[in-house]
Amino acid sequence: MIELKHVFKRYPLGIEALSDVGFSVARGEMAFLTGPSGAGKSTVLKLLCLLERPTRGQVVVNGHDLARLKPYRLPHFRREIGVVFQDNRLLNERTVFDNVALPLLVAGMTGDEVRKRVLAALDKVGLRGRERGFPLALSGGEQQRVGIARALVHRPALLIADEPTGNLDAALSDDIIDLFQEFNDHGVTVLIATHDLRQIERLRARVIRLGEGHMVSAA
Amino acid sequence: MKAYLTRHMQVFMRTLGDFARSPTATLLTVVLIGVTLVLPIGLYVGLSNLQRLTAGWQPRGSLSVYLAKGAPNTATIAAIRQVPGVATVRYISPAEGLREFSATSGLGAAAVAFRHHNPLPGVAVVTPRGGTPAKVARLATELKAVPGVAHVQSNLAWIERLDAALALGHRLVVILATALGLALILIIGNTTRAAVASRADEIAVVGLVGGTNAFIRRPFLYAGALTGGLGALCALILLEVAFLALDGPIAALDRAYGAHYHLLGPDLSQALGLLGGGALLGWLGARIAVGRALRSSRI
Repeated sequence: MIELKHVFKRYPLGIEALSDVGFSVARGEMAFLTGPSGAGKSTVLKLLCLLERPTRGQVVVNGHDLARLKPYRLPHFRREIGVVFQDNRLLNERTVFDNVALPLLVAGMTGDEVRKRVLAALDKVGLRGRERGFPLALSGGEQQRVGIARALVHRPALLIADEPTGNLDAALSDDIIDLFQEFNDHGVTVLIATHDLRQIERLRARVIRLGEGHMVSAA
Repeated sequence: MKAYLTRHMQVFMRTLGDFARSPTATLLTVVLIGVTLVLPIGLYVGLSNLQRLTAGWQPRGSLSVYLAKGAPNTATIAAIRQVPGVATVRYISPAEGLREFSATSGLGAAAVAFRHHNPLPGVAVVTPRGGTPAKVARLATELKAVPGVAHVQSNLAWIERLDAALALGHRLVVILATALGLALILIIGNTTRAAVASRADEIAVVGLVGGTNAFIRRPFLYAGALTGGLGALCALILLEVAFLALDGPIAALDRAYGAHYHLLGPDLSQALGLLGGGALLGWLGARIAVGRALRSSRI
């Protein structure tokens, strides 16, 4: 599902974010990407979502060699993945329903199908009945659940999360990670970037470690 | 197709909602565009009215042939009819001329004083066959040679001058409309650029969940087209207000000259053309601005 081979990423002014990074995540697998701040976790996720392109090396996601992906195919590629952010990136002036419906609307879906899927996604994250509310009226944990519902509503093959529990307390973090585990049990490939060692130990999933832009381990 | 139309309808309604949420900013932009557009439209409509007014003043391209006092009018008119290039001849006798003069000069009763000693000559109004200025000038020379003709006055020169002035006016309208159309594109482009900047987070999220550039552009294009169209509507309203303000003075002028002239505004097709043109320019301004923003954010 994910394959990085000898990936380098250098930013302007010579800042080397990744140096010869390589690992793979199989279809249906759940893995944690970990390492201290500045290790390159976020850069890897940006490469996987094609928010950045590698300076050198190969990145393959869901069968797409991202270096060869034509710009006009980019939106279609992004519809195959779901992304959860630490700051959830919800649109505060839109309702919970509208936020979750966004991936379906951009894919051209309308009407009852959108409604059904959004309500099902909100049901999965325990927010059924809150669809008419606005994000700012929700707690931090609820906002993150809305973000997860939005990432999953279009049934992506791959779910990528960047520090999804970074702003949450321990109990809420457990709930969120359990949700990811549940989706993985249903066949979704999950890659979570985190430095929350407690969660890593609790789930005993595969761990890919980075340190200062280099691979430390991918066992 | 139904899904496509539904999506467009949703974006259209959302755009209207955005307008309603910031009514002051929307109104200011629309009025600014209206004021920008009303100048070339007003000038165009004014010129059209002037053209309509002058079209009825004189037979265009006719010649006034003044007969000599005491000459046998019937023989002279017959000779004039024989000149090659003459299409029609209308004879105005001295008595008819005096009546016409009394009615149109505004002198009225004072002109009656000439009743016993009419100083006006008989006039033959000649319409040439074929109206090129050169032909008419040649015909005027030939008519002057006819016995019993005192003077030939060509009505062509002032018509040529008027036509040239109107053509200049129309050219000015085109230049002004081009410049102000460009201004409209810049106004809406700038408004769109600000809107894109204020919705940068939303655009980023839409891009991340797989929104195409067309999907991202759509609400801005609707906003641009609607703003341009509403601006054009505002211009039409301003023009109507200006016409109402001019109605009184024109009526007074009518009474003074005994004429019956009314200002005509743009007709339905012109009004629709203006609305469509405003919307198109608005769309174009938004398209350029949002296109630049998307290009600069492309990876």
